[in-house]
Amino acid sequence: MEIKPLITGFEPQEKPAGEEGEKPAVYDVIILGAGPAGLTAAIYTGRARLKTLVIAGSLPGGEPSNTDLVENYPGFPEGIAGMDLAQRFQSQAERFGAEIVLDEATAVDFSQEPFTIHTYSTVYKGRTVIIATGAEPRRLGVPGEDKFFGRGVSACATCDGFFYKDKRVVVVGGGDSAIAEGLFLTKFASEVVVIHRRDQLRATQILQERAFANPKMRFVWDSVVEEILGDEMVTGVRVRNVKTGETSVIETDGVFVYIGMVPKTKLFVGQLKLDEQGYIVADRHQRTNVPGVFAAGDVQDPNYRQIVIAAGTGAVAAMEAERFLSEYWQTHHAEAKPS
Amino acid sequence: MTLLGDDVRQQVVEFLKDLAGPVRLVVFTQEFECEYCAETRQLAEELGELSDQITVEVYDFQANKEKAEELGIDKIPAIAVIGKEDYGVRFYGIPSGYEFTSLLHAVRTVAAGEPELSEEGKKFLAEIDRPLHIQVFVTPTCPYCPHAVTLAHQMAIASPNVRADMVEAMEFPHLAVKYQVMGVPRTVINETVHLEGAAPEPMVLDKIREALQEAEG
Repeated sequence: MEIKPLITGFEPQEKPAGEEGEKPAVYDVIILGAGPAGLTAAIYTGRARLKTLVIAGSLPGGEPSNTDLVENYPGFPEGIAGMDLAQRFQSQAERFGAEIVLDEATAVDFSQEPFTIHTYSTVYKGRTVIIATGAEPRRLGVPGEDKFFGRGVSACATCDGFFYKDKRVVVVGGGDSAIAEGLFLTKFASEVVVIHRRDQLRATQILQERAFANPKMRFVWDSVVEEILGDEMVTGVRVRNVKTGETSVIETDGVFVYIGMVPKTKLFVGQLKLDEQGYIVADRHQRTNVPGVFAAGDVQDPNYRQIVIAAGTGAVAAMEAERFLSEYWQTHHAEAKPS
Repeated sequence: MTLLGDDVRQQVVEFLKDLAGPVRLVVFTQEFECEYCAETRQLAEELGELSDQITVEVYDFQANKEKAEELGIDKIPAIAVIGKEDYGVRFYGIPSGYEFTSLLHAVRTVAAGEPELSEEGKKFLAEIDRPLHIQVFVTPTCPYCPHAVTLAHQMAIASPNVRADMVEAMEFPHLAVKYQVMGVPRTVINETVHLEGAAPEPMVLDKIREALQEAEG
Protein backbone atom coordinates (compact mmCIF):
# COMPACT_ATOMS: atom_id res chain seq x y z
CA MET A 1 0.00 0.00 0.00
CA GLU A 2 1.43 3.32 -1.05
CA ILE A 3 0.97 6.88 0.08
CA LYS A 4 -0.18 6.85 3.61
CA PRO A 5 0.99 10.13 5.03
CA LEU A 6 0.82 10.07 8.75
CA ILE A 7 -0.65 12.80 10.73
CA THR A 8 0.69 16.15 9.79
CA GLY A 9 -1.95 18.51 11.05
CA PHE A 10 -5.57 19.51 11.13
CA GLU A 11 -7.86 22.45 10.68
CA PRO A 12 -9.30 23.83 13.87
CA GLN A 13 -12.87 24.88 13.57
CA GLU A 14 -12.93 27.79 15.91
CA LYS A 15 -10.50 29.88 17.77
CA PRO A 16 -11.17 32.78 20.03
CA ALA A 17 -10.62 36.09 18.32
CA GLY A 18 -8.27 38.16 20.37
CA GLU A 19 -7.19 37.49 23.89
CA GLU A 20 -10.57 37.99 25.47
CA GLY A 21 -11.99 35.10 23.43
CA GLU A 22 -15.08 37.05 22.46
CA LYS A 23 -16.30 36.95 18.90
CA PRO A 24 -16.31 40.49 17.62
CA ALA A 25 -19.57 41.86 16.26
CA VAL A 26 -17.66 43.28 13.33
CA TYR A 27 -14.35 41.89 12.08
CA ASP A 28 -11.74 44.19 10.66
CA VAL A 29 -11.11 41.74 7.85
CA ILE A 30 -13.12 38.80 6.61
CA ILE A 31 -11.23 36.57 4.21
CA LEU A 32 -13.19 34.20 2.01
CA GLY A 33 -11.11 31.17 1.17
CA ALA A 34 -8.21 29.43 2.91
CA GLY A 35 -5.83 28.76 0.07
CA PRO A 36 -2.43 30.42 -0.39
CA ALA A 37 -3.95 33.84 -1.14
CA GLY A 38 -6.42 33.86 1.75
CA LEU A 39 -4.00 32.46 4.31
CA THR A 40 -1.18 34.75 3.27
CA ALA A 41 -3.56 37.68 3.62
CA ALA A 42 -4.45 36.35 7.09
CA ILE A 43 -0.78 36.19 8.09
CA TYR A 44 -0.40 39.84 7.15
CA THR A 45 -3.65 41.10 8.71
CA GLY A 46 -2.98 39.04 11.83
CA ARG A 47 0.44 40.62 12.20
CA ALA A 48 -1.18 44.01 11.68
CA ARG A 49 -3.31 43.11 14.73
CA LEU A 50 -6.50 43.32 12.71
CA LYS A 51 -9.33 41.09 13.89
CA THR A 52 -9.33 38.55 11.13
CA LEU A 53 -11.80 35.84 10.22
CA VAL A 54 -11.10 33.30 7.53
CA ILE A 55 -14.12 31.44 6.16
CA ALA A 56 -12.39 28.40 4.76
CA GLY A 57 -14.99 27.14 2.30
CA SER A 58 -15.18 23.65 0.90
CA LEU A 59 -11.45 23.08 0.38
CA PRO A 60 -9.37 24.31 3.31
CA GLY A 61 -5.82 24.68 2.09
CA GLY A 62 -6.97 25.50 -1.42
CA GLU A 63 -5.42 24.08 -4.56
CA PRO A 64 -2.11 23.02 -2.96
CA SER A 65 -3.93 20.51 -0.78
CA ASN A 66 -5.12 19.00 -4.05
CA THR A 67 -1.58 18.69 -5.36
CA ASP A 68 0.69 15.76 -4.75
CA LEU A 69 4.02 17.57 -4.79
CA VAL A 70 4.78 21.27 -5.13
CA GLU A 71 8.20 21.85 -6.63
CA ASN A 72 8.11 25.50 -7.61
CA TYR A 73 7.37 27.25 -4.33
CA PRO A 74 10.58 28.93 -3.18
CA GLY A 75 12.17 27.81 0.03
CA PHE A 76 11.59 24.09 -0.46
CA PRO A 77 14.45 22.92 -2.65
CA GLU A 78 13.34 19.29 -2.46
CA GLY A 79 9.72 20.17 -3.12
CA ILE A 80 6.98 19.88 -0.54
CA ALA A 81 3.77 17.88 -0.40
CA GLY A 82 0.91 20.19 -1.33
CA MET A 83 -0.97 19.15 1.78
CA ASP A 84 2.00 19.93 3.96
CA LEU A 85 2.47 23.35 2.41
CA ALA A 86 -1.22 24.17 2.89
CA GLN A 87 -0.99 23.25 6.55
CA ARG A 88 2.09 25.37 7.02
CA PHE A 89 0.26 28.37 5.56
CA GLN A 90 -2.54 27.70 7.99
CA SER A 91 -0.39 27.25 11.08
CA GLN A 92 1.36 30.49 10.26
CA ALA A 93 -1.93 32.37 9.89
CA GLU A 94 -3.21 30.96 13.17
CA ARG A 95 -0.02 31.83 14.95
CA PHE A 96 -0.80 35.48 14.32
CA GLY A 97 -4.34 35.21 15.59
CA ALA A 98 -6.49 34.59 12.55
CA GLU A 99 -9.73 32.80 13.36
CA ILE A 100 -10.46 30.10 10.79
CA VAL A 101 -13.92 28.60 10.47
CA LEU A 102 -14.85 25.56 8.41
CA ASP A 103 -17.88 27.17 6.95
CA GLU A 104 -18.91 28.36 3.54
CA ALA A 105 -20.31 31.68 2.40
CA THR A 106 -23.76 31.35 0.91
CA ALA A 107 -24.52 35.02 0.21
CA VAL A 108 -22.75 38.35 0.50
CA ASP A 109 -23.94 41.92 0.73
CA PHE A 110 -21.41 44.56 -0.27
CA SER A 111 -24.00 47.31 -0.73
CA GLN A 112 -23.48 48.77 2.71
CA GLU A 113 -20.80 48.86 5.38
CA PRO A 114 -19.99 46.90 7.34
CA PHE A 115 -20.19 44.19 4.71
CA THR A 116 -22.32 41.14 5.46
CA ILE A 117 -21.38 37.53 4.79
CA HIS A 118 -23.99 34.83 5.24
CA THR A 119 -22.72 31.29 5.75
CA TYR A 120 -24.37 27.93 6.25
CA SER A 121 -24.39 28.38 9.99
CA THR A 122 -24.40 32.11 10.74
CA VAL A 123 -23.88 35.70 9.60
CA TYR A 124 -20.63 37.66 9.86
CA LYS A 125 -19.90 41.33 9.44
CA GLY A 126 -16.63 42.82 8.30
CA ARG A 127 -15.28 46.30 7.65
CA THR A 128 -13.21 44.91 4.81
CA VAL A 129 -13.44 41.71 2.81
CA ILE A 130 -10.70 39.90 0.93
CA ILE A 131 -12.06 37.46 -1.60
CA ALA A 132 -9.76 34.51 -2.18
CA THR A 133 -12.27 31.84 -3.10
CA GLY A 134 -10.04 30.56 -5.88
CA ALA A 135 -11.12 28.58 -8.86
CA GLU A 136 -12.52 25.14 -9.37
CA PRO A 137 -11.80 22.61 -12.07
CA ARG A 138 -13.52 23.23 -15.35
CA ARG A 139 -15.80 20.40 -16.38
CA LEU A 140 -15.77 18.90 -19.83
CA GLY A 141 -19.47 19.45 -20.33
CA VAL A 142 -19.92 16.27 -22.36
CA PRO A 143 -22.47 13.46 -22.10
CA GLY A 144 -21.62 10.97 -19.37
CA GLU A 145 -19.61 13.39 -17.27
CA ASP A 146 -22.31 14.19 -14.70
CA LYS A 147 -23.44 10.59 -14.51
CA PHE A 148 -19.96 9.32 -13.74
CA PHE A 149 -18.60 12.21 -11.69
CA GLY A 150 -17.14 10.66 -8.55
CA ARG A 151 -17.65 7.23 -10.08
CA GLY A 152 -15.03 7.09 -12.76
CA VAL A 153 -14.67 10.76 -13.58
CA SER A 154 -12.51 12.74 -11.18
CA ALA A 155 -10.71 16.02 -10.85
CA CYS A 156 -8.62 14.93 -7.86
CA ALA A 157 -5.85 12.43 -8.53
CA THR A 158 -4.55 12.54 -4.95
CA CYS A 159 -8.03 11.66 -3.67
CA ASP A 160 -8.94 8.97 -6.11
CA GLY A 161 -5.74 7.61 -7.64
CA PHE A 162 -5.83 4.61 -5.33
CA PHE A 163 -9.00 3.30 -6.93
CA TYR A 164 -7.21 2.89 -10.25
CA LYS A 165 -4.54 0.49 -9.13
CA ASP A 166 -3.59 -1.61 -12.16
CA LYS A 167 -6.34 0.01 -14.19
CA ARG A 168 -6.24 2.24 -17.22
CA VAL A 169 -6.94 5.92 -16.94
CA VAL A 170 -7.06 8.87 -19.29
CA VAL A 171 -6.06 12.38 -18.34
CA VAL A 172 -7.66 15.17 -20.30
CA GLY A 173 -5.56 18.30 -20.71
CA GLY A 174 -2.00 19.33 -21.47
CA GLY A 175 -1.08 21.87 -18.81
CA ASP A 176 0.92 21.54 -15.61
CA SER A 177 -1.92 20.02 -13.61
CA ALA A 178 -2.74 17.44 -16.26
CA ILE A 179 0.85 16.30 -16.59
CA ALA A 180 1.82 16.47 -12.92
CA GLU A 181 -1.27 14.57 -11.84
CA GLY A 182 -0.91 12.19 -14.77
CA LEU A 183 2.59 11.38 -13.56
CA PHE A 184 1.21 10.85 -10.07
CA LEU A 185 -1.38 8.45 -11.46
CA THR A 186 1.36 6.30 -13.00
CA LYS A 187 2.08 5.15 -9.44
CA PHE A 188 -1.21 3.30 -9.50
CA ALA A 189 -2.54 2.89 -13.00
CA SER A 190 -1.23 0.43 -15.55
CA GLU A 191 -1.50 3.04 -18.26
CA VAL A 192 -2.09 6.79 -18.35
CA VAL A 193 -3.29 8.19 -21.66
CA VAL A 194 -3.06 11.96 -21.99
CA ILE A 195 -5.65 13.37 -24.34
CA HIS A 196 -4.80 16.89 -25.45
CA ARG A 197 -6.48 19.14 -27.96
CA ARG A 198 -3.21 20.51 -29.33
CA ASP A 199 -0.19 18.83 -30.85
CA GLN A 200 2.10 19.74 -27.99
CA LEU A 201 1.87 20.09 -24.25
CA ARG A 202 1.53 23.40 -22.48
CA ALA A 203 3.07 22.02 -19.29
CA THR A 204 6.44 23.19 -17.93
CA GLN A 205 9.38 21.67 -19.76
CA ILE A 206 10.59 19.62 -16.80
CA LEU A 207 7.19 17.96 -16.44
CA GLN A 208 7.09 17.25 -20.16
CA GLU A 209 10.48 15.57 -19.99
CA ARG A 210 9.32 13.33 -17.17
CA ALA A 211 6.08 12.52 -18.92
CA PHE A 212 7.76 11.57 -22.20
CA ALA A 213 10.25 9.42 -20.31
CA ASN A 214 7.57 7.57 -18.38
CA PRO A 215 6.83 4.20 -19.96
CA LYS A 216 3.29 4.18 -18.60
CA MET A 217 2.32 7.42 -20.33
CA ARG A 218 0.94 7.66 -23.81
CA PHE A 219 -0.32 10.70 -25.71
CA VAL A 220 -3.27 11.27 -27.97
CA TRP A 221 -2.78 14.60 -29.73
CA ASP A 222 -5.15 17.05 -31.38
CA SER A 223 -8.10 15.37 -29.73
CA VAL A 224 -11.04 16.30 -27.59
CA VAL A 225 -13.29 14.09 -25.50
CA GLU A 226 -16.83 14.09 -26.82
CA GLU A 227 -18.47 11.53 -24.59
CA ILE A 228 -17.75 9.37 -21.57
CA LEU A 229 -18.96 5.87 -22.20
CA GLY A 230 -20.15 3.18 -19.87
CA ASP A 231 -23.13 1.55 -18.32
CA GLU A 232 -22.52 1.10 -14.61
CA MET A 233 -18.85 1.96 -14.78
CA VAL A 234 -16.76 3.98 -17.17
CA THR A 235 -15.58 1.81 -20.04
CA GLY A 236 -14.14 4.37 -22.39
CA VAL A 237 -14.15 7.82 -23.91
CA ARG A 238 -15.11 8.85 -27.41
CA VAL A 239 -12.59 11.30 -28.79
CA ARG A 240 -12.58 13.41 -31.91
CA ASN A 241 -9.45 14.44 -33.71
CA VAL A 242 -9.84 18.17 -34.23
CA LYS A 243 -7.66 18.15 -37.37
CA THR A 244 -9.12 15.19 -39.22
CA GLY A 245 -12.59 15.13 -37.67
CA GLU A 246 -12.27 11.38 -37.08
CA THR A 247 -13.74 9.92 -33.94
CA SER A 248 -12.51 6.90 -32.08
CA VAL A 249 -13.04 5.17 -28.77
CA ILE A 250 -10.30 4.81 -26.16
CA GLU A 251 -11.04 2.12 -23.62
CA THR A 252 -10.43 3.21 -20.06
CA ASP A 253 -11.55 2.72 -16.47
CA GLY A 254 -11.25 6.30 -15.32
CA VAL A 255 -11.15 9.86 -16.59
CA PHE A 256 -9.23 12.61 -14.85
CA VAL A 257 -10.08 16.06 -16.09
CA TYR A 258 -7.54 18.88 -15.96
CA ILE A 259 -8.67 21.36 -18.58
CA GLY A 260 -8.26 24.52 -16.60
CA MET A 261 -10.22 26.25 -13.92
CA VAL A 262 -13.22 28.49 -13.57
CA PRO A 263 -13.26 31.18 -10.90
CA LYS A 264 -15.58 30.72 -7.95
CA THR A 265 -17.46 33.98 -8.25
CA LYS A 266 -21.14 33.03 -8.42
CA LEU A 267 -21.78 34.75 -5.09
CA PHE A 268 -20.49 38.05 -6.39
CA VAL A 269 -22.46 38.38 -9.60
CA GLY A 270 -24.23 41.74 -9.55
CA GLN A 271 -22.14 43.02 -6.65
CA LEU A 272 -18.63 43.11 -8.04
CA LYS A 273 -17.27 43.79 -11.48
CA LEU A 274 -16.37 40.51 -13.16
CA ASP A 275 -14.73 40.00 -16.54
CA GLU A 276 -16.35 38.03 -19.33
CA GLN A 277 -14.83 34.79 -18.02
CA GLY A 278 -16.20 35.45 -14.56
CA TYR A 279 -12.94 36.50 -12.87
CA ILE A 280 -13.13 39.35 -10.39
CA VAL A 281 -11.66 42.51 -11.87
CA ALA A 282 -9.02 43.82 -9.48
CA ASP A 283 -6.48 46.57 -9.97
CA ARG A 284 -2.79 46.26 -9.17
CA HIS A 285 -3.59 47.05 -5.54
CA GLN A 286 -6.02 44.11 -5.56
CA ARG A 287 -8.94 46.51 -5.15
CA THR A 288 -12.28 45.58 -6.64
CA ASN A 289 -14.81 48.17 -7.78
CA VAL A 290 -16.26 48.25 -4.24
CA PRO A 291 -14.01 50.21 -1.84
CA GLY A 292 -13.07 47.95 1.07
CA VAL A 293 -13.51 44.74 -0.92
CA PHE A 294 -10.31 43.21 -2.25
CA ALA A 295 -9.60 40.10 -4.30
CA ALA A 296 -6.52 37.90 -4.40
CA GLY A 297 -5.36 34.64 -5.87
CA ASP A 298 -6.90 32.55 -8.62
CA VAL A 299 -10.32 34.16 -8.29
CA GLN A 300 -8.92 37.24 -10.04
CA ASP A 301 -6.10 35.64 -12.02
CA PRO A 302 -6.98 34.06 -15.36
CA ASN A 303 -3.35 33.81 -16.40
CA TYR A 304 -0.90 32.33 -13.93
CA ARG A 305 -2.53 30.28 -11.19
CA GLN A 306 0.65 29.84 -9.21
CA ILE A 307 0.89 29.41 -5.45
CA VAL A 308 3.63 31.99 -5.18
CA ILE A 309 1.57 34.53 -7.11
CA ALA A 310 -1.59 33.80 -5.14
CA ALA A 311 0.38 34.30 -1.94
CA GLY A 312 1.80 37.55 -3.31
CA THR A 313 -1.56 38.99 -4.24
CA GLY A 314 -2.87 37.91 -0.83
CA ALA A 315 -0.16 39.97 0.82
CA VAL A 316 -1.00 42.97 -1.37
CA ALA A 317 -4.71 42.68 -0.57
CA ALA A 318 -3.95 42.50 3.15
CA MET A 319 -1.71 45.56 3.08
CA GLU A 320 -4.32 47.47 1.12
CA ALA A 321 -7.04 46.39 3.54
CA GLU A 322 -4.91 47.66 6.39
CA ARG A 323 -4.42 50.97 4.62
CA PHE A 324 -8.16 51.19 3.91
CA LEU A 325 -8.95 50.59 7.57
CA SER A 326 -6.51 53.19 8.83
CA GLU A 327 -8.12 55.76 6.55
CA TYR A 328 -11.49 54.55 7.70
CA TRP A 329 -10.57 55.05 11.34
CA GLN A 330 -9.20 58.49 10.57
CA THR A 331 -12.43 59.64 8.98
CA HIS A 332 -14.75 57.91 11.45
CA HIS A 333 -15.08 58.47 15.16
CA ALA A 334 -11.70 57.87 16.64
CA GLU A 335 -13.21 56.83 19.95
CA ALA A 336 -14.90 53.88 18.26
CA LYS A 337 -11.59 52.34 17.41
CA PRO A 338 -10.81 49.25 19.44
CA SER A 339 -7.57 49.43 21.36
CA MET B 1 8.46 5.96 17.28
CA THR B 2 5.63 8.37 17.88
CA LEU B 3 3.08 9.16 15.22
CA LEU B 4 2.40 12.69 16.34
CA GLY B 5 5.29 15.11 16.04
CA ASP B 6 5.95 17.72 18.71
CA ASP B 7 4.47 20.57 16.71
CA VAL B 8 1.31 18.62 15.97
CA ARG B 9 1.04 17.67 19.64
CA GLN B 10 1.16 21.32 20.58
CA GLN B 11 -1.57 22.15 18.10
CA VAL B 12 -3.72 19.30 19.34
CA VAL B 13 -3.34 20.33 22.97
CA GLU B 14 -4.41 23.82 22.01
CA PHE B 15 -7.34 22.52 19.95
CA LEU B 16 -8.60 20.23 22.71
CA LYS B 17 -7.91 22.42 25.72
CA ASP B 18 -11.52 23.40 26.29
CA LEU B 19 -13.16 20.00 25.83
CA ALA B 20 -16.66 20.29 27.22
CA GLY B 21 -16.73 16.83 28.78
CA PRO B 22 -15.10 13.43 28.94
CA VAL B 23 -14.58 11.41 25.77
CA ARG B 24 -13.78 7.71 25.44
CA LEU B 25 -11.90 6.42 22.46
CA VAL B 26 -12.85 2.77 22.29
CA VAL B 27 -10.39 1.02 19.99
CA PHE B 28 -10.85 -2.41 18.49
CA THR B 29 -7.85 -4.32 17.24
CA GLN B 30 -6.73 -7.93 17.57
CA GLU B 31 -3.86 -9.92 18.99
CA PHE B 32 -2.05 -10.22 15.69
CA GLU B 33 -2.65 -6.65 14.72
CA CYS B 34 -3.83 -5.99 11.16
CA GLU B 35 -1.93 -3.72 8.83
CA TYR B 36 -3.05 -0.45 10.36
CA CYS B 37 -4.46 -1.78 13.64
CA ALA B 38 -1.30 -1.13 15.59
CA GLU B 39 -1.00 2.39 14.26
CA THR B 40 -4.65 3.14 14.90
CA ARG B 41 -4.31 2.00 18.50
CA GLN B 42 -1.11 3.97 18.90
CA LEU B 43 -2.70 7.06 17.42
CA ALA B 44 -5.62 6.83 19.83
CA GLU B 45 -3.24 6.32 22.74
CA GLU B 46 -1.10 9.28 21.75
CA LEU B 47 -4.19 11.42 21.42
CA GLY B 48 -5.33 10.25 24.84
CA GLU B 49 -2.10 11.58 26.34
CA LEU B 50 -2.91 15.07 25.15
CA SER B 51 -6.08 15.72 27.11
CA ASP B 52 -7.18 14.82 30.63
CA GLN B 53 -10.70 14.45 29.30
CA ILE B 54 -9.82 11.63 26.89
CA THR B 55 -9.57 8.01 27.98
CA VAL B 56 -8.58 5.22 25.66
CA GLU B 57 -9.89 1.68 25.91
CA VAL B 58 -8.46 -1.07 23.75
CA TYR B 59 -10.38 -4.25 23.01
CA ASP B 60 -9.55 -7.36 21.09
CA PHE B 61 -12.09 -7.73 18.32
CA GLN B 62 -12.07 -11.52 18.59
CA ALA B 63 -11.84 -11.97 22.34
CA ASN B 64 -14.30 -9.18 23.17
CA LYS B 65 -16.98 -10.07 20.65
CA GLU B 66 -19.75 -8.99 22.98
CA LYS B 67 -18.28 -5.55 23.41
CA ALA B 68 -17.89 -5.22 19.66
CA GLU B 69 -21.48 -6.22 19.10
CA GLU B 70 -22.71 -3.87 21.78
CA LEU B 71 -21.06 -0.99 19.91
CA GLY B 72 -21.94 -2.30 16.46
CA ILE B 73 -18.31 -2.72 15.46
CA ASP B 74 -18.05 -5.07 12.49
CA LYS B 75 -14.50 -4.55 11.22
CA ILE B 76 -11.11 -3.42 12.45
CA PRO B 77 -9.28 -1.23 13.06
CA ALA B 78 -12.14 0.71 14.59
CA ILE B 79 -12.48 3.64 16.94
CA ALA B 80 -15.78 4.48 18.60
CA VAL B 81 -15.82 8.04 19.90
CA ILE B 82 -18.13 8.11 22.88
CA GLY B 83 -19.13 11.00 25.12
CA LYS B 84 -21.82 11.27 27.79
CA GLU B 85 -23.61 8.82 25.58
CA ASP B 86 -22.78 6.79 22.48
CA TYR B 87 -23.85 8.96 19.57
CA GLY B 88 -22.83 6.41 16.95
CA VAL B 89 -19.62 8.13 15.83
CA ARG B 90 -17.20 5.59 14.33
CA PHE B 91 -13.92 5.48 12.46
CA TYR B 92 -13.04 2.36 10.49
CA GLY B 93 -9.44 2.37 9.33
CA ILE B 94 -6.78 4.72 10.57
CA PRO B 95 -7.78 8.38 10.69
CA SER B 96 -4.44 9.56 9.35
CA GLY B 97 -3.53 12.19 6.79
CA TYR B 98 -6.42 14.59 6.37
CA GLU B 99 -8.66 12.35 8.44
CA PHE B 100 -6.86 13.20 11.64
CA THR B 101 -8.80 16.44 11.35
CA SER B 102 -12.05 14.48 11.38
CA LEU B 103 -11.01 12.61 14.50
CA LEU B 104 -10.25 15.82 16.36
CA HIS B 105 -13.56 17.34 15.33
CA ALA B 106 -15.36 14.19 16.40
CA VAL B 107 -13.70 14.30 19.82
CA ARG B 108 -14.57 17.91 20.34
CA THR B 109 -18.17 17.68 19.20
CA VAL B 110 -18.84 14.46 21.05
CA ALA B 111 -17.42 16.05 24.20
CA ALA B 112 -19.90 18.88 23.84
CA GLY B 113 -22.75 16.59 22.79
CA GLU B 114 -23.99 19.48 20.71
CA PRO B 115 -23.77 19.24 16.92
CA GLU B 116 -22.74 22.28 14.90
CA LEU B 117 -25.57 22.19 12.40
CA SER B 118 -28.32 24.54 11.31
CA GLU B 119 -31.38 24.74 13.59
CA GLU B 120 -33.49 23.30 10.81
CA GLY B 121 -31.09 20.41 10.33
CA LYS B 122 -30.95 19.59 14.03
CA LYS B 123 -34.73 19.59 14.26
CA PHE B 124 -35.14 17.34 11.24
CA LEU B 125 -32.51 14.88 12.43
CA ALA B 126 -33.85 14.72 15.98
CA GLU B 127 -37.22 13.64 14.60
CA ILE B 128 -35.89 10.68 12.61
CA ASP B 129 -37.63 7.68 14.15
CA ARG B 130 -35.86 4.76 12.49
CA PRO B 131 -32.26 3.67 12.20
CA LEU B 132 -30.19 5.52 9.64
CA HIS B 133 -26.64 4.53 8.74
CA ILE B 134 -24.25 6.94 7.04
CA GLN B 135 -20.95 5.65 5.72
CA VAL B 136 -18.43 8.11 4.35
CA PHE B 137 -15.68 6.54 2.24
CA VAL B 138 -12.41 8.41 2.27
CA THR B 139 -8.73 8.19 1.47
CA PRO B 140 -6.21 9.83 3.80
CA THR B 141 -4.94 12.00 0.95
CA CYS B 142 -8.29 13.55 0.14
CA PRO B 143 -8.56 17.17 1.26
CA TYR B 144 -12.33 17.31 0.69
CA CYS B 145 -13.08 14.26 2.78
CA PRO B 146 -12.95 15.57 6.37
CA HIS B 147 -15.73 17.97 5.47
CA ALA B 148 -18.02 15.07 4.54
CA VAL B 149 -16.96 12.94 7.50
CA THR B 150 -17.39 15.70 10.06
CA LEU B 151 -20.80 16.59 8.71
CA ALA B 152 -21.93 12.96 8.92
CA HIS B 153 -20.63 12.68 12.48
CA GLN B 154 -22.43 15.87 13.47
CA MET B 155 -25.62 14.31 12.13
CA ALA B 156 -25.06 11.21 14.23
CA ILE B 157 -24.70 13.40 17.30
CA ALA B 158 -27.91 15.21 16.41
CA SER B 159 -30.03 12.06 16.42
CA PRO B 160 -30.15 8.92 18.53
CA ASN B 161 -31.18 6.96 15.43
CA VAL B 162 -28.36 8.08 13.17
CA ARG B 163 -24.94 6.48 13.22
CA ALA B 164 -22.08 7.64 11.01
CA ASP B 165 -18.87 5.90 9.99
CA MET B 166 -15.72 7.10 8.37
CA VAL B 167 -14.51 4.20 6.23
CA GLU B 168 -10.96 4.35 4.91
CA ALA B 169 -11.41 2.87 1.46
CA MET B 170 -7.83 1.67 1.04
CA GLU B 171 -8.07 -0.54 4.12
CA PHE B 172 -11.43 -2.03 3.24
CA PRO B 173 -11.14 -2.61 -0.50
CA HIS B 174 -13.98 -5.14 -0.46
CA LEU B 175 -16.32 -2.42 0.81
CA ALA B 176 -14.99 -0.02 -1.79
CA VAL B 177 -15.94 -2.59 -4.40
CA LYS B 178 -19.27 -3.39 -2.78
CA TYR B 179 -20.31 0.25 -2.72
CA GLN B 180 -18.68 1.02 -6.07
CA VAL B 181 -16.36 3.60 -4.62
CA MET B 182 -14.28 5.04 -7.45
CA GLY B 183 -13.91 8.48 -5.95
CA VAL B 184 -13.95 10.06 -2.53
CA PRO B 185 -15.60 11.32 -0.49
CA ARG B 186 -18.52 9.05 -1.26
CA THR B 187 -21.33 9.01 1.25
CA VAL B 188 -23.60 5.97 1.38
CA ILE B 189 -26.83 6.32 3.30
CA ASN B 190 -28.68 3.16 4.33
CA GLU B 191 -26.91 1.08 1.70
CA THR B 192 -28.97 2.54 -1.13
CA VAL B 193 -28.61 6.29 -1.45
CA HIS B 194 -25.24 7.76 -2.29
CA LEU B 195 -23.70 11.16 -2.66
CA GLU B 196 -20.42 12.17 -4.27
CA GLY B 197 -18.20 14.93 -2.99
CA ALA B 198 -18.16 17.16 0.06
CA ALA B 199 -21.72 18.38 -0.09
CA PRO B 200 -23.16 21.13 2.11
CA GLU B 201 -25.56 20.26 4.91
CA PRO B 202 -28.85 20.95 3.05
CA MET B 203 -27.83 18.61 0.22
CA VAL B 204 -26.98 15.79 2.63
CA LEU B 205 -30.29 16.33 4.43
CA ASP B 206 -32.10 15.97 1.10
CA LYS B 207 -30.33 12.67 0.52
CA ILE B 208 -31.33 11.49 3.99
CA ARG B 209 -34.95 12.35 3.19
CA GLU B 210 -34.58 10.31 0.03
CA ALA B 211 -33.21 7.35 1.97
CA LEU B 212 -36.02 7.55 4.51
CA GLN B 213 -38.62 7.65 1.74
CA GLU B 214 -37.08 4.61 0.10
CA ALA B 215 -37.30 2.79 3.39
CA GLU B 216 -41.00 3.63 3.53
CA GLY B 217 -41.83 2.88 -0.10
